Amino acid sequence: MAGAWETVIGLETHVQVRTESKMFCGCSAAFGAPPNTNVCPVCLGLPGALPVPNEQALKLAVRAALGLGCTVHPRSVFARKNYFYPDLPKGYQISQFEQPLATAGSLSYLSPDRGIATATIQRLHVEEDAGKSLHDRFPKQTAIDLNRCGVPLIEIVTGPDFRSPHEARAYLLTLKQVLEYAGISDCDMEKGSLRVDANVSVRRAGETALGTKTEVKNINSFAYVEKALTVERDRQIAVLEGGGTVAPQTMLYDSKTNSVRPQRSKEESHDYRYFPDPDLPPLVLTEEFIAEQQTLLPELPAKKRERFVEKYALSVTDAAVLTADRTVADYYEAVVHAGADAKTAANWVMTEVLEDAKDHADGLRVPPGALANLIGLIRGGYVSHQAAKRVFAEVAERGGEPRNVAEALGVIQVGDTGVLTGWVSEVLAAHPAEVARYKTGETKLVQFFLGQVMKASRGKADPKLAQRVLEQKLTS
Amino acid sequence: MSVTHDEVRRIAQLAELDVSEEALPLLAEQMSRILEYVAQINAVPASEGVKPFVPGPDAVRFRADEVKPWPLAFGPAELAPAFRDGFFLVPKLGQFEDAEA
Amino acid sequence: MSDPSEALASAKAAADRIVKVKRLNACLTPIKELRKSLVAQASAAHPSGVLYGMPVAVKDNICTLEFTTSCGSKILEGYRSPYDATAVAKLKAAGALIAGKTNCDEFGMGSSTEHSAYGRSLHPFDKTRVPGGSSGGSAALVAAGAVPAALGSETGGSVRQPASLCGVVGIKPTYGRVSRSGLVAFGSSLDQIGVLGRSVHDAARVLSVISGRDARDATCEDRDSLRLPNVPESLQGFVIGVPKEYFPQDLDPAVRRACDRAIRLLRELGAAVREVSLPHTAYAVATYYIIAPAEASSNLARYDGARYGPRFNGSEDVRSLYRTTRGEGFGPEVRRRVLVGTYVLSSGYYDAYYRKAQQMRALIAQDFRNVFDRGVDLLFTPTTPTPAFKAGEKLNDPVAMYLSDIFTVTANLAGLPAISVPIGRIKGLPIGGQLIGQAFLEDEMLEAAYALERAVPAGEEA
Repeated sequence: MAGAWETVIGLETHVQVRTESKMFCGCSAAFGAPPNTNVCPVCLGLPGALPVPNEQALKLAVRAALGLGCTVHPRSVFARKNYFYPDLPKGYQISQFEQPLATAGSLSYLSPDRGIATATIQRLHVEEDAGKSLHDRFPKQTAIDLNRCGVPLIEIVTGPDFRSPHEARAYLLTLKQVLEYAGISDCDMEKGSLRVDANVSVRRAGETALGTKTEVKNINSFAYVEKALTVERDRQIAVLEGGGTVAPQTMLYDSKTNSVRPQRSKEESHDYRYFPDPDLPPLVLTEEFIAEQQTLLPELPAKKRERFVEKYALSVTDAAVLTADRTVADYYEAVVHAGADAKTAANWVMTEVLEDAKDHADGLRVPPGALANLIGLIRGGYVSHQAAKRVFAEVAERGGEPRNVAEALGVIQVGDTGVLTGWVSEVLAAHPAEVARYKTGETKLVQFFLGQVMKASRGKADPKLAQRVLEQKLTS
Repeated sequence: MSVTHDEVRRIAQLAELDVSEEALPLLAEQMSRILEYVAQINAVPASEGVKPFVPGPDAVRFRADEVKPWPLAFGPAELAPAFRDGFFLVPKLGQFEDAEA
Repeated sequence: MSDPSEALASAKAAADRIVKVKRLNACLTPIKELRKSLVAQASAAHPSGVLYGMPVAVKDNICTLEFTTSCGSKILEGYRSPYDATAVAKLKAAGALIAGKTNCDEFGMGSSTEHSAYGRSLHPFDKTRVPGGSSGGSAALVAAGAVPAALGSETGGSVRQPASLCGVVGIKPTYGRVSRSGLVAFGSSLDQIGVLGRSVHDAARVLSVISGRDARDATCEDRDSLRLPNVPESLQGFVIGVPKEYFPQDLDPAVRRACDRAIRLLRELGAAVREVSLPHTAYAVATYYIIAPAEASSNLARYDGARYGPRFNGSEDVRSLYRTTRGEGFGPEVRRRVLVGTYVLSSGYYDAYYRKAQQMRALIAQDFRNVFDRGVDLLFTPTTPTPAFKAGEKLNDPVAMYLSDIFTVTANLAGLPAISVPIGRIKGLPIGGQLIGQAFLEDEMLEAAYALERAVPAGEEA
């Protein structure tokens, strides 16, 4: 069973960096255009066309490398990876091989099995994406769309660091978070701006040598990451327990059947014949170029979490929720900065704000200042917590100042002792029998009186204060 | 430096080039002749530790990240031998097997 | 020329002259299409351009909006480029007329224009002989007087060698002087667009126009276009090196005589001439025939019949589409080079061949630097080991053909500018002499070339 075996997983992640244009030409890198409309001689691989690298893509690649703690090499080289495939128009992909942009980084993440674990980032390099092949659109034909061909990617390769499919997924989610924070990419697996391939092997627990690994491809969502790796791990274990050997091959994950099958290609000749691309002189980055990206790197999630715990006295879990998304973290801080109490603000952001954002693509609809005001109203006793939720919803939908909105909704609680005393007196005068019974010891009747005060005030009385006034009056 | 028929077949596969069985012997012979000739550079020992030389600029120039499509006289539809609904068409992948979509 | 009517006359005359030499099979463009286009171009050309109305033929491996760009190959038969090469765009901006596409060895691979899928081109003076290659069509057309200049391309000498064999001027610029955007790539680190012309002046004028920075080519240097020097009175102050490795014992005596005469004239013009050594010359051809095919094997991978070009029928799956297209679409020389190139890049052979060749290249480039650093301005050598050879003579042994590049490949390997100037005749056949210059110092090279051209009796037997 899985207990006697150790799983070893390494991940290769391809991330599309956020640029307007493609890596080597001025075509738009936007997703979703009609097929073959964002193309030109360069990305079509027409005779005579030459690549010229996109500065912003390189900046983002450097920023990502720095965010992952890598050593950025001031001099790196573009190399051609030669192979034939319908969506690879030049018959080679411009990538990097012997001298990549960055190496030797790391990323800490929360492993469900081992607590804080560190993944080693062996390398991060830049390359161009291929196009798309659609096999089911026309019978007997493959349809090719080259819109995506040439879009800038960074490839991030870890060592064989993960010990379970669960762990691999946790790392990926952390990686996604870091890249989103740093503004590198949308990391959307559905749109293909983040893709992952995995290397999987197993070995007997305690062994140090690595088993034969297979490559698992065609994993199309974060959820499938765990499923695919689990399926492959189990398959390998079954093979080995049955006395067989694991063949080093590429496995394709099929999400419909939750299974893997070998990628059938008669010639496993993956001889990519890498050589430095003679169309591109060496990539030389000045100190200023790299330093600028360092300054553009924002406070990353782990650091921000730590700071939130310290500065706002939040629990680690709460801090994690608030820092999961950078825009939310910034929002939270703005709310506190606008004067709201940190703990209350945290609760509000984690509940009402995030709920509302989930249902509305507009995101964080209530301005931070408004939320801070609303929280202030609650603290001041002007609105009950329940009423505040109504005010929040109203401000989210139609805007406005929370105070005004509360008044318009008629939920401003009266905390004025004078007014409260008036109502209390009214109620007590109207129920002399109950007052007498209270005075004989039926103190539970205070709830009855409170209910009457609320009725008399049409819900506007601050219940806590009203109760205090009642008790005062009743005991006097 | 003799290139065997099998090697020629393997290289032809890598290069996606049909080589008929009849053409194989002459091709192997010619390739051997060429490779034998060029292999003479190995007679020069002094090149250990020499950095490769490539002419041209020392560092690659960057391009600003702007959408500036190359103006073409005509588009993919006119270029393509087979085109439908905006897609290039090729015969179905037979021996290539990949679920990439 | 400054007048549309003059341009029109020039266009018509060019068409007439090109038709007259149809038999040379130098121009691939059907004459009707050519004539129509030339006339249309004449009316649209910029009258203030420095080349206004000048008909310039363009080698078939350089992209033009006019006519087809088939690179002398079946695999691109009928291919029309949707964009102009930068060099072509610059010609047009200068008012020149694109006078058809010229025949060449397929994808630039060859030294005789016998490896074209569209038939060989003939030597203008002797139809049994080759005009050289790969820019044989361009050279023949210029030599036959049909056009004053033509664009060619160089990877290992493909402009200078046919220039020498046909008796015209051929210039290869410094690597990075002229944009390669639109030049169909063969050996990317060696390729440059060059110019053939009936005189140094004609060729240099065209070179000046097509040179200069281009945002579309990352290997093109960020420089202004080439400045043309004046014709010098003398070559006083020039130090010209004569590398002994280019004058081996077995050099054709007639070629030696022609070169000796040219060297004597250079001395008489006031240049100091001294013997120098480029010790790694012997390995240049071998080095070239590793690097060029390697890069070519990758550059030609895009020709698969999928997105452009003719489709060869009968493929049930995409892999067989590729193999049939490439198997049938490439000629034997291209096939050989693609296979050799794939081999030398393949796992297990990369270090012994490709990496080693890159190191050899560095040594060869270093040889030149050493000589230039010691006060030498230019080098003088023969361009080709022989005058034009007979068609079919070198087809049996590929290496025999490669050896005709023996004096030219070094300049491509080192990225240096070089020019071939006619220096005499050998049994009536032209022969050229070569000047190799320092990187980006084409103006010095051109000065010497002007002077040599003026002094040398190019029409006289050596």
